[in-house]
Amino acid sequence: MIEAKDIKKIYPGIVPTVALDGVSFLIKEGEFVAIVGPSGSGKSTLMHIMGFLDRPTSGVYKFRGKSIDELDDDQLARIRNKEMGFVFQSFNLLPRTTVLDNVKLPLLYSGIAREQQDRMAREALKKVGLSHRLFHYPNQLSGGEQQRVAIARAIVNHPSVIFADEPTGNLDSKSGQQIMDILQNLNDQGHTIILVTHEKYTAQMAKRIIQLKDGRIVDDQIVAHRRLAKDGLIK
Amino acid sequence: MSILYSFKVAWVALKTNKVRSFLTILGIVIGIAAVVAMMSLGAGAQHLIVGQIMSMGSNNIFIEPGAFDPKKTSIMEARMEEAEIKTLKISDAQAIKNLPEIEEVAPFVIGVEKVIYKDVSKKVTFIGTTPAAHIIEATEVTLGRDFTEAEVKSQARVAVLGYKIAQDLFGNENPIGKIIRIKKTNFRVIGVLEERGTQTFMDLDEFVYVPVTTAQKLLLGIDHLKWIVAKAKSKDVIDEAVEDIRLLLRERHNIYNPTGDLTKDDFKVMSQVEAANILSSVMGVFTLFLSSIAAIALVVGGIGIMNIMLVSVTERTKEIGLRKAVGARKKDILYQFLIEAIVLTSVGGVVGIVLGILGSFFGSLVFGKMLYMQWKFFISLKAIVLGVGVAVVVGLVFGIYPARKASQLSPIEALRYE
Ligand SMILES: Nc1ncnc2c1ncn2[C@@H]1O[C@H](COP(=O)(O)OP(=O)(O)OP(=O)(O)O)[C@@H](O)[C@H]1O
Ligand SMILES: [Mg+2]
Repeated sequence: MIEAKDIKKIYPGIVPTVALDGVSFLIKEGEFVAIVGPSGSGKSTLMHIMGFLDRPTSGVYKFRGKSIDELDDDQLARIRNKEMGFVFQSFNLLPRTTVLDNVKLPLLYSGIAREQQDRMAREALKKVGLSHRLFHYPNQLSGGEQQRVAIARAIVNHPSVIFADEPTGNLDSKSGQQIMDILQNLNDQGHTIILVTHEKYTAQMAKRIIQLKDGRIVDDQIVAHRRLAKDGLIK
Repeated sequence: MSILYSFKVAWVALKTNKVRSFLTILGIVIGIAAVVAMMSLGAGAQHLIVGQIMSMGSNNIFIEPGAFDPKKTSIMEARMEEAEIKTLKISDAQAIKNLPEIEEVAPFVIGVEKVIYKDVSKKVTFIGTTPAAHIIEATEVTLGRDFTEAEVKSQARVAVLGYKIAQDLFGNENPIGKIIRIKKTNFRVIGVLEERGTQTFMDLDEFVYVPVTTAQKLLLGIDHLKWIVAKAKSKDVIDEAVEDIRLLLRERHNIYNPTGDLTKDDFKVMSQVEAANILSSVMGVFTLFLSSIAAIALVVGGIGIMNIMLVSVTERTKEIGLRKAVGARKKDILYQFLIEAIVLTSVGGVVGIVLGILGSFFGSLVFGKMLYMQWKFFISLKAIVLGVGVAVVVGLVFGIYPARKASQLSPIEALRYE
C-alpha cells in the first residue's frame, strides 16, 4: 500500500538541510507502524511526504501504486480527503471556529450530506471524549483537548490510513492510553496506522517500529511483545 | 462541492472573521460613497447653473466693456470686477435698440450702498437700469409699479425693491410711498418685485432698482455703463444681432477693426447660449475638482481593501494549507475566496451607493441653503459605475490573487507560511 524507495528530502537554504537521506520501506494495508527517533531526525518530514502533503526531493514514494507526480491536484485532494487522516504535530486547528466545525472540515469536501456530517463529527468527538466541548473555540481548550480535536478531525472521515504525528505528546498517561486505544481499535477494524512518537512505551503499542536517525532508517522491527492500550486502562 | 455549498463555507469564513470583513466593507463603502456623492453634487451644480441662465430667456445678448480676453471667460468675473473701461454709454444702448434684430435693451450700472429706513439699515446691491430690464428678465412688479422712461429721463429719486429687501426694511408695513435713504439721498419706494430666488450665486431678491440716470449721477458719479443686455427678436437672429452690435459699437467708438479681431474691441458681446456654455465649462472644472477628491477617496478605500486582504494572507494561507490537507481542491479554495470577495464588495457596494446618494441629497440641501439656490439633487450614474467598478476590481483582485497563489503551494508550504 505504501512504498518508499530511497527518499531524500533536502530543504534549500544557505546551508541546505538534509531532513531525509535515502529512506526505503514498504507498509502493507492493516499495519500499525510506529516511527521513532530523536528530535530533528526527519519523522515529521517523512509523515508529510507519506500523506501527499509534500514532495520528496528525490526517490519514489507511492501510495496504492501511485506517486504524487502521477496525480493531479484534484486527485490528490480526493485521496487526502477519502483515504488519509492527518494529525499534525502542531494541531493546526482553525481559529475562531468551533470544535464541531473544525472536526467537520474534511467532511465539507467529501460530498457527504449535511445532516450526516453533523452526526459523524459528533461521533468522532465522542470517541476522543470531547462531547462536552462541541461549541468551544480552540483558544478555550487545553493543549491536550486541542490535540484530541485534531485526532477527531483525522478520523471523522473513516480514512483507510491515519497519520498521527505525536498524538499523545501533550496528554497525561490516561488520556494518552485512551487515544492509543482508539487507534488500536481502528487498526483492528482494518485501518492502517502510522504513528510518530518519542515514547518507547507508546511505540510498543504498535505492531512494527521504524527507527530514524539523521534522516536514515537505523532499525525496522516487528514488536515482539505488543502492549494493548485497554490493559493499561483497566489498571 | 457545489457552488451553493461554497457559499456556505464562504459565509462561515466571513462570519468567523467579522472585524476583517467589516473593515473591508468599510473601505469599499468609503470609496464608492465618496465618488457617488461628489460626482452627483457636481453634476447637480452644473445642471442648476446652466438651467438658471437658460431660464432667463435664451434670446438675451450681453454687452460688457473691455476687450475679449481669452484668459478671462467668465461673465461673472467681469461683472464682479470694477470694470475700468468707461466707453460704454447710455447712448450706445439707445443705438443698439434701433437695430432691426433687437426688441428691447436695458443698460445697467451696479453698486453697493447702505439703505436706511427709520432705524433699520442694510447694505444692499443697487442696480441702475430702465423699465426694459424687467421686461428682459421677465420679472414682475407685484406691488406698486415700475419706474417709467420719463422717470429715467428726469433722474427721478424712486426705487423698486427686491422681495427680500422689502421685507427686511419694512416687515409687514406697506413700503409703497415710503422714503428710504441711499447715500444721503432720499428715494421714494414705488414698487416691490416678485420673489425671484438666486442665480449665479447672487440673491436677486436683495437688489434695489433705481433709474439708471439717477444711479449714475447721484449714487456712483459716473456717466458710463457696467453692462447692457439686449433681447433679440427671435432665436434665429441672435448671431446676426451679435455681429450687428459689434459693428455698431466699433463705429460709435471709432474702432478701426476690419478683420473683426475681438481683442481689439473695447467691449465684448456674448449671447446667452455662449454664456451658459462658458459657465457650464467652469462648472465642469468644479465637477472635475470634486471628482478628484472622490478619486482620492476611492484610492484610499482601495488601499484599505488591499491592506486588509494582504495582511490577512498569512493567516489565510495557513487556512488554505489546512483546507487542502483535509481534501479541498484548488477550485474549492478559489470558489470560497471568490464568493467571499463578491459578498464583501456587493454589500460594500450597495451600502456605498446608498450612502453616496444620501450624501449627495443632504449635500444639495446644505449647499442650496448656503448659496440660496435650488440646488438640484442629482444621481450620477457614471459615478456609480466608476465607484463600483473600481471597488469590485480591487476587491476581487486582492481577495482572490493571494488565495490563488496560496492554493498553488503544497499544503505543508502553506501551513508553514509566515
Ligand atoms: N521547511 C524547512 N526548512 C528547512 N529545514 C527544515 C524544514 N522543515 C524541517 N526542517 C529540518 O529538517 C529536519 C527534520 O525535521 P522534522 O520536523 O522532520 O523532525 P522531527 O523528527 O519531526 O523532529 P521532532 O521530534 O522534534 O518533531 C530538522 O533538522 C529541521 O530543522
Ligand atoms: Mg516532528
